[in-house]
Amino acid sequence: MTSSLTNYDNRAYFGKYDEMYAQNNSIRPLYKQFSKILEKLSIEDLNKMHEFSKDFFLNQGVTFTVYNDKEGVEKIFPFDIIPRIINNKEWIKIEEGIKQRIKALNLFIKDIYHEQFFLKDNKIPADLIISNPNYLRIMRRLNVPKDIYTHISGIDLVRDENGDFFVLEDNLRTPSGVSYMLENREITRRLFPNFIPKQKVMPVSNYPNMLYKELKSLVNKKNPVIVLLTPGLFNSAYYEHTALARLMGVELVEGNDLVVENNMVYMKTAGGLKVVDIIYRRIDDDYLDPLNFKSESILGVAGLMDCYRQGNVVIVNAPGTGIADDKAVYTYVPEMISYYLSEKPILDNIKTFQLSNNDEKKYVIENIQKLVVKRTDGSGGYGMLIGKDASDEEISLYIKKIKSEPDKYIAQPTLNLSTSPCFIKDSLKPRCVDLRPFAIYGANGIKVCPGGLTRIALKEGSLVVNSSQGGGSKDTWILKE
Amino acid sequence: MLSRVANNLFWMDRYMERSYGLLNLMKANYNSTLDSEDFSSWETIMKSYMGVEHTEKNTALSIIDFMVFDRSNNNTLINMVTSARENARSVQEHVSREIWLSINKYFLDISNPDFYKSFKHKDPIDFINELIQYHHIYYSVADVTQERGNAYCFMNVGKYLERILQSIDFLNVKVDSLKTMNNNLNESYFWKNLLVSIGGYQLYIKTYKSIFSIDNIIELISLNEFFPRSIKFSVNKLYTHVMRLEKFNKPHENNLNFMAGKLRNQLKYSNLVSIKKQGLKNFAYEIQLQLNDISNEINKVYFYQIIS
Repeated sequence: MTSSLTNYDNRAYFGKYDEMYAQNNSIRPLYKQFSKILEKLSIEDLNKMHEFSKDFFLNQGVTFTVYNDKEGVEKIFPFDIIPRIINNKEWIKIEEGIKQRIKALNLFIKDIYHEQFFLKDNKIPADLIISNPNYLRIMRRLNVPKDIYTHISGIDLVRDENGDFFVLEDNLRTPSGVSYMLENREITRRLFPNFIPKQKVMPVSNYPNMLYKELKSLVNKKNPVIVLLTPGLFNSAYYEHTALARLMGVELVEGNDLVVENNMVYMKTAGGLKVVDIIYRRIDDDYLDPLNFKSESILGVAGLMDCYRQGNVVIVNAPGTGIADDKAVYTYVPEMISYYLSEKPILDNIKTFQLSNNDEKKYVIENIQKLVVKRTDGSGGYGMLIGKDASDEEISLYIKKIKSEPDKYIAQPTLNLSTSPCFIKDSLKPRCVDLRPFAIYGANGIKVCPGGLTRIALKEGSLVVNSSQGGGSKDTWILKE
Repeated sequence: MLSRVANNLFWMDRYMERSYGLLNLMKANYNSTLDSEDFSSWETIMKSYMGVEHTEKNTALSIIDFMVFDRSNNNTLINMVTSARENARSVQEHVSREIWLSINKYFLDISNPDFYKSFKHKDPIDFINELIQYHHIYYSVADVTQERGNAYCFMNVGKYLERILQSIDFLNVKVDSLKTMNNNLNESYFWKNLLVSIGGYQLYIKTYKSIFSIDNIIELISLNEFFPRSIKFSVNKLYTHVMRLEKFNKPHENNLNFMAGKLRNQLKYSNLVSIKKQGLKNFAYEIQLQLNDISNEINKVYFYQIIS
C-alpha cells in the first residue's frame, strides 16, 4: 500500500509556512499523532472518506445556492478531510488578541456614535468616518443595550512565513461560516473515530448554546422571544440560518413574518401577534427597514429602527457596526487598542497603505505588482486586484479606478498565507489557508469559540479563500494542551 | 408558531400526500393496462392529475416518464417532491431531524440523473414501488419522531384535506363512470385494479368477500370507519387536528370547529341509502363545498394575519 503521506510536494509554495511540515520537510511535532493515522491510510481510503463527506453534507442539506444566469444551483461547500491543528499556546494568544480587538472596536463604535473623541483627537481622518456609507446617522447618540454593538464577529487571521498570526479583516456585520465550523467537526468525528478525544481537541459544539445564552443576556427578561431574521431561502447562507435557529431553538423568521405596531415588533403566529424581544438579523443594515433605509427593500421590517430607537427590541449586531469593519478603518485598529485600552496589540495588523494618502498612493502605483489592492467597502473577495497575477491591461485599468477615487482603496503586500496539506485529486497537496474564529460579546463578556473556520484557496497558488470564489474549508482542531 | 411556518407545514404534507396518491394511481393503472388494450385510462389521469387535455404520448412508459420526471408541469412527481422539500427546508426547526433527512433524501435521489437512468432499465411497477417506499418512510418517520404539537397538527390537516379530496375525486370520476360502462364489470381484475389504486382492495375482500358491486365500493370509500383513505375516517382525523389547533393557538373567534364538526356529523349520520337518495354526485359535491369552506377558514384563521 502506498501511504497517503508520501510525495508531499510544496515547492510551488516556497518560503511559505506549512502547517504540517517544517522547513526541512519533517512533520511538525503538533501533527505527529495525526500523521500516524495518515500513514496507515491509502489514497483509496482518503478518496472514500472524501466521498463520504460529500454525501454527508448533501444528505444533511448543508448546501448553499450559487447564482449563474439567474438560476440557482444548490452546491455543497467544498470540504477537505485533513484537519488543521493549532496548539494551545498559539490559541491562547489568538483568543486574547481577538478579545482585545473586539473590546477596542466596540468602544470605538460607541465613541463614534457618541462623543467622537477619536475624531477630536485626530486619531483618524474625520472624512473616513463621516462620509463612510457604513456610518449610520440614525445611530448617533443612541444608547444601545449593555453598550454592546459587535455581539457576533468573525476575525480573519493569516499566518506569515515565520508562523506568526496577523489579522486580515474584522467581520463585524453579519459574519457567516459558523455553521460550517460545526458541520466540519461533525463529519471529522466520523472520519477519524475516537481520535478527537485522544488528541484532546477542544469542542466547538457549544457555540449555539453560548450564542443563545449571550443573546438572552441582552435583555432583563426571563424568557425573551429571540428570532433569527433571514433574507430567505435564496440567500447563500440560508443553511446556516436554519442550522443556528434549529440548534438554538429559536424561530427563523423572514421580514414578512414581522410587523411593527406602536413601536413594538411582533411576529405573525398562527395564534395572533407575539412580541419579539431580540432579533439576530442576518440581513445587512441597508435592508433592515425600508422606512429608514433602502425604501425598496422587501427583506426587512418597516418601522423596525423606530422600535430599536425606543429600546423596544434589540438588534444583533447593532446597526452601524460596519463603520468598524471597513478596510480603511482597519488600519487604525492598533491605534484604537492603544487609545481606548492603553494596551499593545496582541495580534498585529497587516501593513496597509492608504491610497487617500498621496505618498502611499504613489508607492502603491509604482509597486503594484507586489501588492494586493482592495476596495474599502468590498467583501467576499470581489473587486480586488492581486498584482502578481494581473495582466498589464488589468493593472492599468485598475490604476485608473484608483486615481479616480483613491479614498475607496487600500493596498497590502501580497500575503504569505500559510499552507496546509489538502486532499486534492488523489494526493495531498499544499493549499493556502486562513482562519476565522468566531467571537460572541454579551453581558457576560467576550467569548471566543475554541476553533473556527479554516478556509482554503483550492486553486493551486491562489490566495483567495472566499467561498464565493472557489474556496473550501476544513476542520480546525485547537488542542487542549 | 409563525403563520408562514404553519402554512409551509400544511403544504409540505399536502404535496407528499398528493404525490403518494399519484404514485398509487399510476401503479394501479399500469397494472390494469397490462391486461387491456384500452389507453383511455392514461388520458383520464393526464387530464385530471396533470391538467393535460391532449397528449401525443402513446405508451404507458412515456406517460409515466412524464408524470414522474417532467419539470415543465407543476403537478409532476418531481415538482411536487421539490415543493414539499422546499417547504420542509424552511421549517427545519419545527420538524424532526429525521423528517427533514427523509424528505431531503427523496428530493436528492429523484433529482439525480442516475436515478432517471435507472428508471429506463427497471420494471415500471418495481420502479414505482421504489418511489412509494420513500413515502412509507416519510409517514413512518413522522409517526415515530414528530412531537404531537402544533406542527404535527398543521401537517395532518394538510394531509387529510388532500386525502379527502382524492377520495372524492375517486368517487366522482372512477366510480361514477362505472354506471355508464358495463363491458368490464364482470371481470374481477377490473375491480381489483380499481380498489388497489386507492389502497382498498384487501379491506374490501375482508369486508364484502369477493362480491363486487358499486354500492359496496361507495360504502367503503365514503363511510368505512377503519379504512384510512375513506372520507369518514379522514374527516374524523381532520376534525381531531382542527380541534387541537384551536387548543394550541387560541385564535380569535372563528367557525372552524363548527364547520369541521358539521361535516363530521353529516358523515356520521349518512348511510348508503341516504347517499343513494341524495345521488352520489350530489353527495360528493356537497362534501367538496364544505371542504372548500373549511380550507378558506383555515387560511383566514391561521395563515394570514390581518393587522387590525
